[in-house]
Amino acid sequence: MNILVVLRMIPDSAGELQLAEDGRGIDREWLDFQLNDFDDHALEEAILLKEAGGATVTAVAIGEGANRVLQMAAARGADEVIALQAEDDAMISSRTIAATIAATARDKSADLILCGVQSTEDVFGQLAPYVGAMLDWPHVSGTNRVVADGAGLRVTQERGAGVAVTYEMTLPAVLGVQTASKAPRYVSGSKLREASKTPIGRAALEPSGFERSAEIRELRLPAQGGSGEDLGNDAENVADRLVTILAVNGLTANGLARK
Amino acid sequence: MKMIACTEGRSDKIEAFSLEMIAAARSVAAAGDEVVAFFAGQAAKAAAASFGAADRMIVADAAGSDLIPAETYARLLRDAVTAEQPDLVLVPYSANGLDVAADIAARTGWPLLSYVNEIKRDGETLTVVAQMYGGKVLAECVVKLPAVLMVNPGAFAEAVPSPIDATKIQQIDAKTAIESAKVKMVAIDVPDYADVDLTTAERIVCVGRGIGDEASIDIARDLATILGAEIAGSRPVVDNGWLPKLRQVGKSGQKVKPKLYLALGVSGAPEHLEGMSHADLIIAVNTDPKAPIFNVAHYGATCDLFDLVASLSDRLQAPPGR
Ligand SMILES: Cc1cc2nc3c(=O)[nH]c(=O)nc-3n(C[C@H](O)[C@H](O)[C@H](O)COP(=O)(O)OP(=O)(O)OC[C@H]3O[C@@H](n4cnc5c(N)ncnc54)[C@H](O)[C@@H]3O)c2cc1C
Repeated sequence: MNILVVLRMIPDSAGELQLAEDGRGIDREWLDFQLNDFDDHALEEAILLKEAGGATVTAVAIGEGANRVLQMAAARGADEVIALQAEDDAMISSRTIAATIAATARDKSADLILCGVQSTEDVFGQLAPYVGAMLDWPHVSGTNRVVADGAGLRVTQERGAGVAVTYEMTLPAVLGVQTASKAPRYVSGSKLREASKTPIGRAALEPSGFERSAEIRELRLPAQGGSGEDLGNDAENVADRLVTILAVNGLTANGLARK
Repeated sequence: MKMIACTEGRSDKIEAFSLEMIAAARSVAAAGDEVVAFFAGQAAKAAAASFGAADRMIVADAAGSDLIPAETYARLLRDAVTAEQPDLVLVPYSANGLDVAADIAARTGWPLLSYVNEIKRDGETLTVVAQMYGGKVLAECVVKLPAVLMVNPGAFAEAVPSPIDATKIQQIDAKTAIESAKVKMVAIDVPDYADVDLTTAERIVCVGRGIGDEASIDIARDLATILGAEIAGSRPVVDNGWLPKLRQVGKSGQKVKPKLYLALGVSGAPEHLEGMSHADLIIAVNTDPKAPIFNVAHYGATCDLFDLVASLSDRLQAPPGR
């Protein structure tokens, strides 16, 4: 089986996001970029499939820090790594890169494409269904278990309220991975150093083939705090206030004990 | 203008957000416009009994298949889109919708905006507000029609359920699409709620990734015990195996409405908020003052969660009248 994994570098959203001066993007200059968490799980799922039944894994990365992440992918077991040349300072739109991913999949005779179920920058649509529809391959998003099963796959998908649905599907296919069957593995420094010798291929982005989805008129930060009250950052003060707030709302520990 | 509102159901029940999609379509409909509800699944009867707020309904009745895979749903929807030539297709941001929205957009070439909270109509275009970066940024966008929008559950109030007139219902064949599908459902696992049912809990202490590691869960669990609360977790906490799946709150977890929801180290991603934003009293503790959880919290504190848990546990444990 030939597996293609897509790794997208996205701004660390635990960090502070500043709007760009024109108000149509975020200021990317001082941002930390990190691998999209769901893509990390997609990579893990690919390596798990390789270990379980043999596969060739090609990892494609895009965005700032792609090289570093590709070395990590190689250290974890990817056989071939390719950096896609992103436009400078542009957000990584899954709608825009889908055509390139589809072309790469054809080029590498991929049977299976794995990517994260979403990214924080896919406001114009998600990668797995775009690529699936463009190739006319079946796609399932939100997977938390993937097992190769004869000529196809057995895939479990998460739905709401803890409900899990298992499907059988034919290959070739595209999966939007939510959680890998096992947590992403840790790679040692020595493995990373060894993998740093893996040659990184380069490829350019192809035209998306789509019309632009929308014109972003303005980005803004949501109104802060809503109507909530800020209790500050002093734990002792906060605890004092909370004791009162809980009591006023009939939620004290004692109130409960007496019931 | 014609709008298709995509709706869903499992077993014999419709999903509540289906009525929100119809309401979202209605909210931009002018006189003479048409709102068409699209339903594919087994709950066709329940859909007919509830979707009266739509002008018409297209139903792919899949009697006997508890759940229709998104691939099949998208194919049936595609046929409806080809036949109806709508100006707007509204898809819920659900497990199914995640596969359907971009599939339709790719095959029609139409614009798509995801994680939509607001839709306003300006003549031939729409002004749409969508969430990005886990709800930390809102994008106001101008979208040309025809277009596809994937709408956040909870963004629109549900349309009032009422039966739809039988003459307004059009059946389409689901059998061919189901039989030729490349994705086939083989099992549904519904959890056993006997152990824990967060949906009926009065008080919940929820830990997020900010808790750091498995051992620290105990600290939060002790506080929960003092408060008479159930312990719950965000998705990463459950994914890491630190809490069982039944204790996950959010989109793929439980939707809860307790009297007290204490969130410790939870950022408040839209998928988390979907499960808890209606709680009576929300108290959030997060060192990041910009964390979106503060947008729904009634009280917010930006101190370290471990400091707070220690101080609060101390005070609550002290004998009364000290
Ligand atoms: C289809 C789909 C379904 C999903 N379903 C769910 C779901 O059901 N439930 C769910 O929760 N998520 C769900 N998610 C995931 C969701 O998008 C977020 O990734 C997740 O909610 C983030 O969890 P978190 O807030 O715990 O972690 P993070 O976003 O990493 O936030 C951790 C927070 O802890 C704070 N923090 C760190 N250290 C401390 C400290 N010492 N003291 C105080 N604060 C601290 C940080 O400032 C940060 O804000 C779903 C995603 C998808 C795509």
